[in-house]
Parts: sequence; structure tokens; C-alpha cells
Amino acid sequence: MNIKKQLFTVLTFTKISTRRFFRDKVALFFSVGFPLIFLFVFGNLYGNNSSLSFRVALINQSSTAIATQLSEGLGQSKVIKIDGNIASLDQAKEKMIHSELDAAIIVPENFGEVEKGAKYPSGQLEVIYTQNNQQSASALTSLLSAQLGEVNKQFVSQVAPFSVMSTQLNENSLSNFDFAFAGLIGFSIMGIGIFGPVNVFPELKKMGILRRLSTTPLRVWQYFLSTMIGQAIAGSLSFVAMFFVAIQFFQLKIAGNWLDLIIFLLFGSIMILGIGLALGGWAKNERQVAPLANIITFPMMFLSGTFFPRFLMPDWLQNLSGLLPLTPVIDGVRLISTEAKGLLDILPQVGMVGAWTVIVYLIAFRVFRWE
Amino acid sequence: MPHKLGHFCYPLVYNGCMYIVEVKNLKKSYDGKKAVDGVSFSIKKGEIFGILGPNGAGKTTTLEMMETLRPIDDGTVKIDGIDVSRDPQAIKYLIGVQPQTPAFQDKTKLTEIIEMFAAAYGEKVDAMRFLRDVGLEDKANNFVEDLSGGQKQRLSITTALVHGPKVFFLDEPTTGLDPQARRNLWDLIEAVRNRGISVIMTTHYMDEAEVLCDRIAIMDAGRIIAIDTPKNLIKQLLKRGFKKKQQVEQANLEDVFIDLTGKGLRD
Repeated sequence: MNIKKQLFTVLTFTKISTRRFFRDKVALFFSVGFPLIFLFVFGNLYGNNSSLSFRVALINQSSTAIATQLSEGLGQSKVIKIDGNIASLDQAKEKMIHSELDAAIIVPENFGEVEKGAKYPSGQLEVIYTQNNQQSASALTSLLSAQLGEVNKQFVSQVAPFSVMSTQLNENSLSNFDFAFAGLIGFSIMGIGIFGPVNVFPELKKMGILRRLSTTPLRVWQYFLSTMIGQAIAGSLSFVAMFFVAIQFFQLKIAGNWLDLIIFLLFGSIMILGIGLALGGWAKNERQVAPLANIITFPMMFLSGTFFPRFLMPDWLQNLSGLLPLTPVIDGVRLISTEAKGLLDILPQVGMVGAWTVIVYLIAFRVFRWE
Repeated sequence: MPHKLGHFCYPLVYNGCMYIVEVKNLKKSYDGKKAVDGVSFSIKKGEIFGILGPNGAGKTTTLEMMETLRPIDDGTVKIDGIDVSRDPQAIKYLIGVQPQTPAFQDKTKLTEIIEMFAAAYGEKVDAMRFLRDVGLEDKANNFVEDLSGGQKQRLSITTALVHGPKVFFLDEPTTGLDPQARRNLWDLIEAVRNRGISVIMTTHYMDEAEVLCDRIAIMDAGRIIAIDTPKNLIKQLLKRGFKKKQQVEQANLEDVFIDLTGKGLRD
């Protein structure tokens, strides 16, 4: 068979399996809808990093005007969110133990009263926290001190010769979400590339469909190539949806070149798909492939920087996880999208992806079985 | 067909050439157990050849070795002069295979199934023509999962013929079909033979073998224990003094069934 006929075979298979993909609403959901759900969840986790807030209980034991004024003022704050259902310290303690509250603010009984011999009212707020919440408690304490400082000015005029002013620069900076997005893209590549063939091939084998195809002159590479193009179409659809949502709803900023990003994503996806082709092509049935697929995908899911940044890991684990196939894909996407690197700047990642591609496809062709 | 030329056929000059399929001393064992133990037979062009035998006799294994699906331990299979174990890729252009239980990927239209199988041979065909051959033209735009068992069998037959094979293999094609669908399939198989294609089939139904097959081989425990035309086999049995206990009826229950329900195909 000449090469033109062989490619005609590939294109016909691709055309029909792609049509089939669009008819299959479940597959469509898992490859496009599912990553979007993750995107929304993580987008909301990382997205509002600028608006830090505390959940606190406010226990006001004082009846002075100043105490009332203060509680109302705290109630309007965007940073301090008061849980209105809590009346006693015991209730607050219970909730703090379960990490439902960051701290409790106690306004003591004598708060705002004018003590004997004094010209103006005084009092001391108490911030109560558990040992898990030291950071938020100290942030909360300094926040309250600043607020009380404003109150103090009404009674004692002070001149502070030294002060600090902070100015926020929000221009062109990258949010946590921009970093997290590369991980989410990696997760999506893994979902489509590995779980696609792992779910589909054993099913086709069980029904004897691949066996029937093996009595035709169809070659393994033709079948792989048609699967690859089909998955690339499904993958692009998923990527387009993810980029659209990320840019539209979570203000994603791509610092680097889009073309570099697309080319790198394509090569990364082809490599990861090879893992799926090897697993699905090797397995005789779903039961055989499920444990192996999990053994291979779980380390990548947790160690390749999908959800947890690798720089938080101990050195030895960073070195080890750097060898996983998904790691260079996510690192590369991150370097292009957040650090504006080009393909030539990320040669280590490109090289790793290339090396894994060779290894993975050598295995995939060797272990493939039609039944 | 893009298989090797140079195998010229002069049936009158070279007698061996009358046979499109030649199987010699074919052997296969699994874990030391002999599944096929020295099977030899030849099949003429345009012949329907049946392989009968109880379960585990080695029928399917024999077929699978001929179809390039299983490696051959020993012996040779030649189809149109080409050795199956030497050039399996060339053999695939010469054969059409109907599996025991035809299955197709779901959410695929019948026309797409035909296009796909033709494409596997690098060919582009008129899908409707092949659907018309087996009376499925009305279902052209349906998905395969909407088909009945008999319709799937018919679709499977026509997909096995998209590339114009010289030999057509069927493994128990009528198992599980109603009498109407069974008879319809017989007609289809005869139509295939009438196009000059040699048919090799296995079956458990003796009436089917008697009606359909020009010659049959009976296998047991991996060996062929008898091979001849159905008529000759019956004659030989009678010669050995066999007598049926009861009087042969003028009609049987199937005749009653067909008389009452008609020959029309149900779907």
C-alpha cells in the first residue's frame, strides 16, 4: 500500500472516530466539562488571593457606646467576617477547634468606661486563638491595633514622626491562579491522554472490535495515529474552553508567546497520550489496566506540580519528581505562560518531553495487542 | 489486488492450482495440549467448505491460524499460493473474516462502518451498494446499536467483502438467529459463493451443513476424522449398515414453523 492510501486510511478512521466522539455526550463531558469544573474550583481557591479575610466571633460583654460603635465598625469590615451566631466563648472555642473560626475577639465588660481619675475612656480588646491560627491572630491583632489607633486619636492628639505607607502595584503581576493554571492544564492533558485510551481500548478488545480490525491490513501505527489526531481534536476543544474560562473569569495572563505555548502543549500532549496508548494497548481488559493506570498517574498527579508546587517539596523529592513525564510538560507551560520564556529557553523541558516521547512510544508499539 | 503476482494459474496443466486454499499438517498446542493436531485439507475456488465438530475440536483455532490471528506452530497454510505465516499482510487482502459474534463500535452509522472497513484496505467504496447487497439500505443512517442480531450478522458479512476477497471465513454465523434470519443468511452465503468467492464456515447445525456446504470436514480432538461431500458421507454411513430407528417424517418441526410464520425476514 502506498503512503497516500495509508494516510487515507488514517484520515477516514480519524474522521469517523471524531464524529463518534461528538455524539458521545459522556465522553464530551469528561474531556471538556470535567476540567472546567476543576478550573472553577481552583480558580476560586487561588483567584481571590488579594482579598485576605478572617472569620471571627465577636463577643461583646460591654454596654458602653464606644463598645457598640466598635462592634458596628468591625461588622462592616470586609476583612473581618463576623460569625453572628456565636454568643459565648465556649461556642467560639468549639468552632476554633474545628478550624471553622480563625479567632474570637472579646470586648470585656469594662471596655469604654471612664476609670476613676481618668479624663477619657479606655479598655483592652482580647484576641483569642488556637495554636493553629497564630498567623491569622497576629495579623488580626495588628489590624485591630491600627483601628484602635484611629479611635485613640479622638481622645489624645498625637503626632507620629515616623510611619509606614504601603502602596500596592497591581500592574502586570502574576496571580497565584496564573501559576496554578499550568498545573490544571497538565491535569487535563493527563485526563484526556491517559484515561481516554485506557478506557476505550480494553472495551473495544472485549467486544472483539480490535480483533476484527486485525484481520484487515490496518497497521498499529495507523490506528495510533488516527487515535492521536482524534484525541488532539478533543484536547484542543478542552484547551480552548479552559483558556477561554481562565481568561474571561480568572483574568489569566499569558506572558509568553502563544505560538510557543501551543506547539509545546501539542508535543506534551502527544507524549502523555503515548502513555495512554501503551497502557490501553497492552491491557486485555479494564481490570488489568486500572491498577497500573493509577500507579502511573497518581505520582504525576501529586508530584509533577499539578496541584502542589514542586518548590515546596524537599530537595530529594524535587529531583525525583523532576523525572516524571508530566513534570517537564507543566514546567514548560509555566515557564512560557508566566515567565515569557520561548521554546529555545526551555530546552531542558523540551528535551525531557522528547526523550519521554521516544521511550513511551517504543513501549507502546512493543506491547500493543489486538485482543 | 496488491499481493505478489507471479503465481500463474493453469488448472488443466497444474492440478494443484485448482485449490485456492491448501492446508498441510497444521498444528497448534496450548500449554502442551494439542488443540490442532496435524490438519490437512484443500478448498476449491467457489466452494462452500464446512468444518463441523463438537466444542473444543479445534475448529476455531484452525480458522484463526488461517486468518493470521494466531501464530502457526507447525505445518503450512497457503491461500492463493501465498504462505500465511510468511506474508500475513498480503493474506489480509485476500481474505474476509466474519467473527463468531460480530460487534461494532457504537454511535457509528452503518455507512461509516462500511467506509471504515474499506479504508482499512486503503479503499474508498460506495457504502450504499454494500448495504443494498445485504438488504440494509433502509438502515444506512442508523447507529449500529439499533440493529438486531441478524442485521448485525448481515452487516458483518458485507463489511468482510468490501475489498473483494477471494476467501471468506465465517465462524458459526447462524448461532442464535431465528429460522427466518438463518435462511436469509444461507441465501446470502450462497450469493457470495456464486460470485466465485470460496467460503469456509464452521457450524453446529447439521441441516445447515447439509443444505449449504459442497464439502465438509468433521473434526474431533484436533484432527479431521472425515472429509467429503455431505451426500457421500451419508452414503458411506448407510453402506456401513446404519439404520435410523424411526421412520423418516415427510416434514419436521422447522417446516411447520416456516409454513406457519412464512419465510419473510423479521427484524
